[in-house]
Amino acid sequence: MRKRLRRFFSLLVIAGLLIGTVSGCGGDGADKITVGSKNFTENILLGEIMAQLIENKTDLKVERKLNLGGTLVAWEALKKGDLDLYPEYTGTALMAILKKEVMYDADEVYNLVQKEYNEQFQVKWLKPFGFNNTYATAVTREMAEKYNLVKTSDLKPYAKDLVFCAEQEFFNRDDGYDGFVKTYNLQFKDKRAVETALKYQAVAEGKVQVIDAFSTDGELVTYDMVILEDDKGFFPPYHGAPIIRMDTLEKYPELEEVLNLLAGQISDTEMQQLNYQVKEQKKDAAEVATKFLQDKGLI
Amino acid sequence: MGDILALTVEHLMLSAAGVGLALVVGIPLAILITRYRTLAGFTMAVTDVLQTIPSMALLAALMIYLGLGNQTLVVTLMIYSLLPIVRNTYTGITGIDKGLIEAGKGMGMTRWQLLRMVQIPVALPVIMAGIRVAMVTAIGIATLGVLIGGGGLGAPIWRGMQIVDSSMILSGAIPAALIAILCEFGLAKLEKAVTPRGMKASSPAKS
Repeated sequence: MRKRLRRFFSLLVIAGLLIGTVSGCGGDGADKITVGSKNFTENILLGEIMAQLIENKTDLKVERKLNLGGTLVAWEALKKGDLDLYPEYTGTALMAILKKEVMYDADEVYNLVQKEYNEQFQVKWLKPFGFNNTYATAVTREMAEKYNLVKTSDLKPYAKDLVFCAEQEFFNRDDGYDGFVKTYNLQFKDKRAVETALKYQAVAEGKVQVIDAFSTDGELVTYDMVILEDDKGFFPPYHGAPIIRMDTLEKYPELEEVLNLLAGQISDTEMQQLNYQVKEQKKDAAEVATKFLQDKGLI
Repeated sequence: MGDILALTVEHLMLSAAGVGLALVVGIPLAILITRYRTLAGFTMAVTDVLQTIPSMALLAALMIYLGLGNQTLVVTLMIYSLLPIVRNTYTGITGIDKGLIEAGKGMGMTRWQLLRMVQIPVALPVIMAGIRVAMVTAIGIATLGVLIGGGGLGAPIWRGMQIVDSSMILSGAIPAALIAILCEFGLAKLEKAVTPRGMKASSPAKS
């Protein structure tokens, strides 16, 4: 009996040490780059598209870390060198990472984050994919018609009866909830924070009435939602682009040219469609990425 | 399906590794604080506080130092396993009938002998109960590992949540629940097995 016990404990310890060492010296294989992404469909798709393009156009091996827990994790991993590149959004970089005041001119934002990232972090912004995945407020078409909602300002008289719902991040950001309700002078009955994927379900079931959405969300099609025009221009530009460590670029300069093949290739509606295929039609992200690259004649 | 099996095994290994490390750290620590009782309150307070940190926050914070991957997950699991292990070991050892200790001392046992032959065996059922709690908790928390680039059953669960695909969520959640139940069951058996014969509730006395 004691022997069995001892064996059990030593097994646990051995398992611990093994995993510790195995992951500790995880293959530092030459000519391998690590592509990351945050944990939502669009970012995963972009990560997959970049990974496949690199695999197709270069001899590099690509390791994928495509489901990282948010901006903080992806960004810290890139700074640390655990990632070589991942898709980022200009607005996120400006406000969440650089903690700058909100700006509304897309080129100004891109140039500023480029400069700051180069100098502070030795990270380079490659050319944007094209789409602007900005925040927007959305309601069901039914409700928009009932209350004749077109612009975000139109919500004002009804807000006191409506519940606003968003993922936690929206409530934590400067360009999120607090600024939003202040700009539009809205007082909602209540606010809820839920996981991104559950937001649309909540609104479809009528548990909440107004949600934040991204302009490229595929669910907007599925749930027949209407985006309310941002008539006071509160939401800043969020153009997606690959960001890459400069030391990776020095080692593999070909990456810049390869990834810039994607420049301007994905419009808002194209991104919506790609998201829709993965998120709503449950197609495999890797297959959708391959199909996209083939359709564009990139691979 | 083979994928899920591999992920399940990996999930179990990662959870066991976290708990295993917590044993290596926690049991000696608990024994130490039974000897230096002034440290006990402080140690318990620290493990309590660690337990209250939201798991995603702890994962993200540790990731900054330890990097992406399983090592960060295992350390996180270890931290969450510390509380039940340290507390139960401490409670188990300090709760022993003073008469048993005195008897041991009377037989001329050294402190080490007393620990090895009296205190630990008698406290084992309580320690094992702590390990059970730690293991089941670890299996649950390990599903977050994917968010810091680790492995395990978190991958299908999170992918499923993102694309609102319940069958994908369940393909990760069910095996996770199963291994939790199996571990609970297996460890309960082991707990029974390691209970010293003299302590087992003898067949109820006939009245």
